[in-house]
Amino acid sequence: MRSLRAWLLRFTNLFRRRANEADFSAELDSHLELHIADNLRAGMSPTEARRQALLRLGGIEPIKELHRERRGLPFFDSFFQDLRFALRMLRKSPGFTAVAVLTLALGIGANTAIFSAVYASLLRPLPFKDPGRLVSIMKRNPPRGWVRNANSAAELLAWRAGARAWEDVATWKQKSCVLTGGNPEELPCEGISGNLFSLLGVPALYGSNTFPASEDKSAAARFTILSHALWKQRFGADETIVGRVIRVNGSDVVVVGVMPAGFPHLYAAPYLDVPDLWVSGPGLTPQNTWNDYYAVGRLRPGSSLQQAQEEMDNASIALEQRIPEVSGWRAQLFPLRVLISGDTRLALLVLFGAATFVLLIACVNVANLLLSRGAARAGEFAVRTALGAAKARLVRQVLVENLLISFSAGGLGILLAVLGARGLAAVAPAYLLRSAPGLGAAVNPGILGFAILMALATTLLFGLVPAIHTASPRLVDAMKQVSRGASHSVHARRLRAVLVVSEIALALVLLAGAGLMARTLAALVRVNFGFEPGHVLAVRVPLVGVRYSTSKAQSEFWRRLIASVEALPGVECASVSRGLPVGGWAGQSFATAENPHPPAGQVPDANYIVVGPDYFRVLHIPLRRGRAFDAHDTQAAPHVAIVNEELARSQWPGQDPLGKRLHPVEDFPWMTVVGVAANVLTQGPEGGAHPELYVPFEQYPFVIAPHDFVLRAVPGMDPANFARSVEEQVHRIDRDLPVSDVQTLDQAVAAERRDARMVMALLAGFAGLALLLSAVGIYSVLSFSVAQRTREIGMRIALGAQNRDILRLVVGSGLRLALLGISIGVAAALALTRLLSDFLFGVQPADPVTFVAVGATLGACSLLACYVPAHRAARLDPLVALRYE
Amino acid sequence: MSPKLDVWQGTLALMVLKTLQTLGPLHGYGIARRIEQTSGDLLSVNYGTLYPALLKLEQEGSISSDWGVSDNNRKAKYYRLTRAGRKQLEREAQDWEQATAILARFLSARRESA
Repeated sequence: MRSLRAWLLRFTNLFRRRANEADFSAELDSHLELHIADNLRAGMSPTEARRQALLRLGGIEPIKELHRERRGLPFFDSFFQDLRFALRMLRKSPGFTAVAVLTLALGIGANTAIFSAVYASLLRPLPFKDPGRLVSIMKRNPPRGWVRNANSAAELLAWRAGARAWEDVATWKQKSCVLTGGNPEELPCEGISGNLFSLLGVPALYGSNTFPASEDKSAAARFTILSHALWKQRFGADETIVGRVIRVNGSDVVVVGVMPAGFPHLYAAPYLDVPDLWVSGPGLTPQNTWNDYYAVGRLRPGSSLQQAQEEMDNASIALEQRIPEVSGWRAQLFPLRVLISGDTRLALLVLFGAATFVLLIACVNVANLLLSRGAARAGEFAVRTALGAAKARLVRQVLVENLLISFSAGGLGILLAVLGARGLAAVAPAYLLRSAPGLGAAVNPGILGFAILMALATTLLFGLVPAIHTASPRLVDAMKQVSRGASHSVHARRLRAVLVVSEIALALVLLAGAGLMARTLAALVRVNFGFEPGHVLAVRVPLVGVRYSTSKAQSEFWRRLIASVEALPGVECASVSRGLPVGGWAGQSFATAENPHPPAGQVPDANYIVVGPDYFRVLHIPLRRGRAFDAHDTQAAPHVAIVNEELARSQWPGQDPLGKRLHPVEDFPWMTVVGVAANVLTQGPEGGAHPELYVPFEQYPFVIAPHDFVLRAVPGMDPANFARSVEEQVHRIDRDLPVSDVQTLDQAVAAERRDARMVMALLAGFAGLALLLSAVGIYSVLSFSVAQRTREIGMRIALGAQNRDILRLVVGSGLRLALLGISIGVAAALALTRLLSDFLFGVQPADPVTFVAVGATLGACSLLACYVPAHRAARLDPLVALRYE
Repeated sequence: MSPKLDVWQGTLALMVLKTLQTLGPLHGYGIARRIEQTSGDLLSVNYGTLYPALLKLEQEGSISSDWGVSDNNRKAKYYRLTRAGRKQLEREAQDWEQATAILARFLSARRESA
């Protein structure tokens, strides 16, 4: 208590130095007077009295110094001195300060922005109870190359029963829920088991986070829990909503709870839709082998992932005996964090590395600036050393100056980072945003701490070497003011050369990365997806409710809609399908007439695409053989199918596929192949061609309605213009149908390239910065050396050197550094671009075109940066130069 | 003139507090003189350490200071004991007495056994 009080007082005394000094001087004066008065009273002469009093008191300055030390905090005192001095020095050279602060701020800003993404995506703990024990349960089939597949109910039941490692397992299924009673809306939703939220440990905001008991057994959705967003938007944040009945997919459903705001969808992989509401069921049944259940489990304390895996594998082997369809499938377990951020981890780490390179280059540049400045200040430091300043004290003072620079840069950097994080959120692909909620949001303490750490680290990086270098001048040389070139000699020059070479090497690595990504993006744009996305508009119209429970009613609706839209001026043709040719694949097994009973585990599967008659015309998918579907392919007509080239190749190699027969399940009639369509890259450009099976929508056996309405506009017409009129036509037929996901196929295809685009945009930004900074670096080094060598150059000119010779001399010395940096950079880039190979498409990590182009760019920039100081040197007036001091 | 003892570490504060308790508010010079007189001029107070010691006691809240006017009309800074200082004095005087008593007993015990 007492000493705390004392420290506080001492701290406040730091700020009232002058008053304290005066006070103590007065006290000592009065002390002397009192003593003199005493001495006079004892009979001394005035002179003697004064002399004795002064003698007894001792040295006044040492007493004052002792008092001062006790009064304030001596360390801080000198620190503040340094700080004031540093401020004065920086104010005196605003150009230097601005360049240094801005350079570092760019580096720190870039780094902090990427770190905020790394933090949001990889470091922040998942907002669930004890998230370390949460495991995502999926399955894989290594022989057939399937991974991260959704599970079947049969397997989940077997695994849950067979593995003791689980404390609890919750399951869900993706659904779509159409809310009616008011404005019809189709919303992503999940049918969940009642224990999902309690397993995650997240309570409801209102009502319950689980369903009334026995609900898991029922297949029908009878209860619902709303998301906070839906509750606010659709139900006006009505606090009495619990217990109310709402209409979902045409039936009555009771609202049992509302989840809190910001409850994240982080129990599911980020490529799954974020639900607006959750409904009860459907329950798991032991014979159900449809793969559409996702699951998350909580391990018992003390149980390991490996133990769970072994127990589940045993359960799978037992299950294969009973249900052969599941042969070959095994559980695939991911700690939840790995599932959530696994896909973005590499991209973020690569970008973080790139941002670190930018920061390093910035540090190198500032170190260079400081070295030049140090040379200019050699005299000042020599004088101070001669006057007895300790080396440590001088180093400290220079470091305080540097600290001031880096903290100003840190502050500015945080501002830049906030902007940068927002920009990042704008270019980030959807799955990154989903896996990292809060990305691009305001700065949090973790990120602030990181920026401060960056500022401190950069001080050490760019500041220490120049500080030591500057603070240990060669006393005699500096005092004698021998030409500055000599005082700041070979050692310093070599140091600066090393710095420039390393920054050029770093810049080359970044440029190579950006170049490769640019080539990737170009290759992606050139990819022929197998269809023609231009001029096509896609609109999602799910046919929900009892009215459309028969395929006849559905066909009727589509026929009417297609006819009315095709009647619009500017529409070339329209059709409907289930599934667009981008972003997805829904595999389903089939059997051919040649091989009607494939052994379990070898059943072929294909992407079933349920389409309307004009589908191939709308998308411009070429038909290689046979015919397209037409109006005659109705439910009553013989069942037909169109296969893609890949399916034909894999099932009937070397044979004519027309007339062959296949069917999806045993009891479904055979379909006859009537046409062969070109392959379409449904799984994105890297996905390659997969077997695909087109079925006319009136003949599809399962009541899963096609819902993707597509139209092709006539050339010269923007398809997006039809969004409004399509919605009008839909509502003219049925006012209760929701219309959503309106997009042109161009947009949908571009979305596929979003992550390549993000990586490229950021790498290109970083590389541009790096290029600029290293050009500035070469420029400043050469300008400095030209200034130092002014007399020498003047001498050369006086002795008859031509402009050309001087140019060659200066440019040559700069280019030597640049070439060395470029070669080191190429070697480093060859090693590092391999990390990018996951993002590359249509280009090798060691792509010679990229490397040559990048090297040439950097070389050209360096040449330009060399030319300016060289030109200045060549135009020196020898008379002035020789007199130059 | 016999060599005077310096005031040893840790006791100066106690002496200052005791002096202020006995004499009431007093300036630095007066405190020093009083300590020297009380010791029968055996002790010599080093002014270089007296003022920082006063400052420390003041920062710790045992004494407070104020400018005032001396008997013969001179301006001086007067120190006075605070309530906390009074308590500190009591406690430290007790500790000191105990310590000296123990030491005295220890020293006499040693003489006996010798």
